[in-house]
Amino acid sequence: MSEVLARAACRAEGTARTYEEAIREAGALLVEGGAVEPAYVEAMLERERTMTTFMGNGLAIPHGTLDATDQIRRSAISVVRYAEPLDWKGSPVRVVVGIAGVDGQHLEVLSRIALVFADTEQAQRVADAGTTDELYDLLAGVNA
Amino acid sequence: MTTTASAAPTLSRGRTAQVRLQRFGAFLTGMIMPNLPAFLAWGLITALFISVGWLPNEMLGGFGNADLPGAWQGAATQLVLAEDGTTFRQYLGLVGPMVTYLLPLLIANSGGRLVHGERGGVVATIATLGIIVGSTVPMFLGAMIVGPLAAWVMKLVDSLWDGRLKPGLEMLVNMFSAAIVGGAMSVAAFFGIAPVVSQISTWLGDIVAWLADNGLLPLMSIIVEPAKVLFLNNAIGNGVLVPLGAQQVVEQGKSLLFLVEANPGPGLGILLAYTLLGVGAARSTAPGAMFVHFIGGIHEVYFPFVLMKPVLIVAAIAGGMTGVATNVVFGSGLVGPAAPGSIIAVLAQTSRDSYLGVILSVVLSATVSFLVAAVILRASRKRDLAAGESGDLAAAVAQTEANKGRSSAALSSLVGATGTAAPVRTIVFACDAGMGSSAMGAAVLRDKLRKAGIEGVTVVNKAVATLDDDAADLVVSQRELTERARQHAPTTRHVSVDNFMNSPVYDDVVAEVGASRAAAGAGEAP
Repeated sequence: MSEVLARAACRAEGTARTYEEAIREAGALLVEGGAVEPAYVEAMLERERTMTTFMGNGLAIPHGTLDATDQIRRSAISVVRYAEPLDWKGSPVRVVVGIAGVDGQHLEVLSRIALVFADTEQAQRVADAGTTDELYDLLAGVNA
Repeated sequence: MTTTASAAPTLSRGRTAQVRLQRFGAFLTGMIMPNLPAFLAWGLITALFISVGWLPNEMLGGFGNADLPGAWQGAATQLVLAEDGTTFRQYLGLVGPMVTYLLPLLIANSGGRLVHGERGGVVATIATLGIIVGSTVPMFLGAMIVGPLAAWVMKLVDSLWDGRLKPGLEMLVNMFSAAIVGGAMSVAAFFGIAPVVSQISTWLGDIVAWLADNGLLPLMSIIVEPAKVLFLNNAIGNGVLVPLGAQQVVEQGKSLLFLVEANPGPGLGILLAYTLLGVGAARSTAPGAMFVHFIGGIHEVYFPFVLMKPVLIVAAIAGGMTGVATNVVFGSGLVGPAAPGSIIAVLAQTSRDSYLGVILSVVLSATVSFLVAAVILRASRKRDLAAGESGDLAAAVAQTEANKGRSSAALSSLVGATGTAAPVRTIVFACDAGMGSSAMGAAVLRDKLRKAGIEGVTVVNKAVATLDDDAADLVVSQRELTERARQHAPTTRHVSVDNFMNSPVYDDVVAEVGASRAAAGAGEAP
């Protein structure tokens, strides 16, 4: 089974300027990795409209609705980092973690990401990661 | 531990029935509890102003002749028959109208609200007046039946045209439908329900009278004491004993029925026995529990002590029976319900002529339950010490909370303060889909608990829609979601966070759980 967080699903130079674009950007990485159907990205946008996925400490974790679970082929996570903060419905976001989870397989990984971002210093280090390799290496521990 | 474990299967078999009874008890309590100040006011006024009270007052107490010179003009009066066969105008006073009208109407209003909100409360109150004036006994039972029933009928009627009204007509239809339902129920209660409930009241009264005549009243403790420990006391206390007691007060000026369940003596005796002869955590916790129980009137703190050694129920029953018997012998009683069952509430409601009997009933029941409990604890003390059963209180508290159906603030604050078990065992993070934010929040809190060296607390995440009251001791959710979470788990404690990553709320939770865990650890140490 492939890792939940793949290097190919990481991007240190996000190009989106709005949170909608950022969701599409994180969602596209999941689609490219073959983890979800394209329709899942629409579900991610829909979910964001009902409630923000801004988590604090510059992190947002867009994911689909409960109904969209059948558009997930395997659990996967994508990470996009932005050099300038995005306006996430009024909150500043530097790192967007796109989530596709089935049967709770992603929860382990998600918890580890949570622990990274709960620590302000570590969260800052991730937000400052200039290259995709640096970004992946900072977070790769989450696959272990 | 073995005793608790062997008792568990029986409990789970009867669990559904018990939960239903508890819900029923909770509903009855929901009708009575908010109105206890009115009961208390009535009790105080009765104790002061009736002819045998502390400050007899013929106008307020309602026993004076308003035709005599120097009468207070303008006060409400009623025509009564004098001993010589003539009639005279007697003051109505406060005591009678309060018990006849005020208390049942308040109960009906609370009951109606529980069923169908403000509107249900109003309709319930209208309908209950029908049963009050359609009978000659105080209609507590009647109010408890007719109130919720009328509100339920209103709810059904409302659902007929819910959302189908022409705009602009809602107010008119709502006003008249409630008036018609309330009025019709009032008439129906007068002719149809009042005679039935009067008959039931009479029968229940007859049963109590029969028990009293045959000297069997103390037998009530055989049912009441075990029921208390299983948290069925509200169904019995508020459903049967309080209404019957109030009826007796009207007839006899006092009632011992108020003391059957509320007497703090039996629990005090058991806690005293643990203080002197218990082992480990149970022994060190018992003195604090005594204060909460006897002065605070929160009886549930002694239930775990009975559950960790179920045979102690014998001590509680013996104590309870002694208390009832003492009141029978002295003819003593209370003028209103003592709630909570604190010695202070008991003394405040004691009838003026009953202090000796009531105080003796508390003292003697405590003495008897202490002696019986002491013999039981003494007999098993060596074995308990050898088996290291000192940590059992935590299990018993958990058992008590399971019996109650949810965690108890009184239990946890007690054990938290004096040092045994932890109140919060399961924490659920709730979010919309249950796959993202709640999982992260749960992870962060788990990590904080781990770093604080706290073990044995389960932290999970769920979708809000899958929450229920059995899910957790504490639910954490995002601020916008908390209201929805509360609807799914109304009796669970909820906290809101703005920021799942680092909320100050986490530190509060860790501190709270940590404090009680540390205390529990100290208690369990050999």
